[in-house]
Amino acid sequence: MTDQTNDTKQYDKETAIGGDAAVGETMIELRDLTKRYPGEETPAVDRVSMEIPKGEIVVFVGPSGCGKTTTLKMINRIIEPTSGNIIIDGEDVTTIDPNHLRRRIGYVIQQIGLFPHITIEGNVGTVPRLLGWDKDRTDARIDELLDVVGLDPAVYRSRYPKELSGGQRQRVGVARALAADPPVLLMDEPFGAIDPITRTRLQNEFLRLQEELQKTIAFVTHDIDEAIKMGDRIAILKEQSHIAQFATPEEILTNPANEFVEDFVGTGATLKRLKLTRVRDIAVVDDALIGRLDEPREDLQKRLKESEWTAMLLLDKDNKPARWLRAPDFRHDRPAAELGLPARAMVEKQATLSDALEEMLVGSAGVAIVVDGRGTYEGILDVDSIITSIQTMRDADAEFYRAAKLIDPADEVA
Amino acid sequence: MSTTLTPPEADIGARDRALAEDQAADARAKRTKLVHYAGMPLFLLVVTVALLLYIQGSELDSIETRSLAANVQFTRLQEHLLLTGVSTFFVLLLAIPLGIAATRPRVRKYAPIVIGLGNAGQAIPSLGALALLFFLFRTVDWLPSTGTIPVVVSLIAYSFLPILRNTMVGLDQVDANVLEAGRGMGMSNRLVLRRLELPLAVPVILAGVRTALVLNVGTAALAFLFGGGGLGETIQAGFQLNRQPVLVFGAVSVAILALLVDYLAGLVEEVLTPRGL
Repeated sequence: MTDQTNDTKQYDKETAIGGDAAVGETMIELRDLTKRYPGEETPAVDRVSMEIPKGEIVVFVGPSGCGKTTTLKMINRIIEPTSGNIIIDGEDVTTIDPNHLRRRIGYVIQQIGLFPHITIEGNVGTVPRLLGWDKDRTDARIDELLDVVGLDPAVYRSRYPKELSGGQRQRVGVARALAADPPVLLMDEPFGAIDPITRTRLQNEFLRLQEELQKTIAFVTHDIDEAIKMGDRIAILKEQSHIAQFATPEEILTNPANEFVEDFVGTGATLKRLKLTRVRDIAVVDDALIGRLDEPREDLQKRLKESEWTAMLLLDKDNKPARWLRAPDFRHDRPAAELGLPARAMVEKQATLSDALEEMLVGSAGVAIVVDGRGTYEGILDVDSIITSIQTMRDADAEFYRAAKLIDPADEVA
Repeated sequence: MSTTLTPPEADIGARDRALAEDQAADARAKRTKLVHYAGMPLFLLVVTVALLLYIQGSELDSIETRSLAANVQFTRLQEHLLLTGVSTFFVLLLAIPLGIAATRPRVRKYAPIVIGLGNAGQAIPSLGALALLFFLFRTVDWLPSTGTIPVVVSLIAYSFLPILRNTMVGLDQVDANVLEAGRGMGMSNRLVLRRLELPLAVPVILAGVRTALVLNVGTAALAFLFGGGGLGETIQAGFQLNRQPVLVFGAVSVAILALLVDYLAGLVEEVLTPRGL
């Protein structure tokens, strides 16, 4: 496999804008992939070459009509390429039986395309059944996957798609794509048709999932913010799928390759960087003052008074944040569980700083509580740490620009 | 997985509301269901009893008594059902596969033409169509000019188009995303047809079958033109002999039969429509 990868590296160095892709193994390689529809003068996709490293999310982003979806759909040959090659895991799959190819590639589309007349369990079990898994194995896998995407199998297995909300359907769509544990996933605007709040949540969940699964994912979106959030690497595409820049989100934001990229990324790069940095990337306060819901209130009051903190976070018996207490709250003669304010503004470590900031603004507490996937307390994030991290980013950017200009001014034009 | 971002109170409130709505909807559905299932049979029973009472109450002369004899009418009913059944069977056998074939990707671009023809064919009145076929069977030497065969052929020709059209429309309206998802998971074209397209087209195809059945029950009443038997013979006798009870009995029994067939076909439609739609 490594030999194969080296082989493909040799090929066409100019167009394979892989950057430092050589670090990892290449999982998907597109070679001069072209789609020309009959009767049309210009090809819809013109000689795209690209390498997608194993275990990464590569986002195709570009204006509508740029051919990003066509490019994606040529990978599993839902759209057959006119010319060029697709190499997956070292194997040229351009001419193999497309049905066998597709059973090895997970596929999620914007409209989800759940089979409306088949139960959730039947939907999720589609590919395992096609692959001839026995019933026990398929059943176990369906339960496991529904669990993974946060749907209780006991409740949802035998429901029909129309009995689910949009967000739940999208989860089933993801579970269905993962059913046979394919190494490669194609996602065509998977969160496009979902309301913004659910979308943010699903994006975060998916990123957490991806941390465990380490799939190789090609992901299409028209939304640069989503691209920055989801992508390990972003391919910004111009018309006919010509690659304007193929690089990490950081690089695209700090060092756009040309005017097209600059325009497409748009203004507010610093704000976008907030979507790029995640809570886990910055220092979280983990020595905050913590109390227990079932502690006597005198103890709580005493500890708060003696500490340097102005507020204390109460956790319930499952270590989940319950309430915020401040000194004046003890004036009221109520049990601790009813004092102060309910704990809001909780974020997970995968959440971006932008999400966290939004939670803080909504929760009006000036802090966000960091929790894990089960809602267990992990730490506190305050506005100051976000501002510090913005400051650091901007300093780093300035450094970067100075360095880039010193080394090679021509880079700016390329 | 998502619990951390949603206030739990909102979830519970929504669930309770949803449950309450479900229950209310269930109760409503139960009431409408009863009307839905029992209404038509009751109505038909009432009409049948009324018809029999009317015949019983009329003073019948010998011709009328002979025409309306139970065994005669029973034979006509049998003939009528046979004509309808056989022709519908063959129509399904011919029109559904053709409808499937005409919607396959390679010939799909011609589908609108076929559907247009189907609509046009539907607009021809049945008596006119049968008269034309009658003429055809009479003038072409090697075709049988009387009996069951020309009737069945005519019925097939006449109910062919609605079934063909509904099959094509039914397959055509299946959500393209569902099919793409199926293909994207590695289902072969044949599997996509069998597991996705056909089940999802079933409601529309069955609506076509139901229409065809009812059409055939009505059109089979014209079988007497070919001497093909059926309840139409009774109506014809009523006309020719100028006997009102005979005419009324023939006409009303065809109407009852058509409504009954429509009702039964509706039940079949409900049973065969996949859950979840």
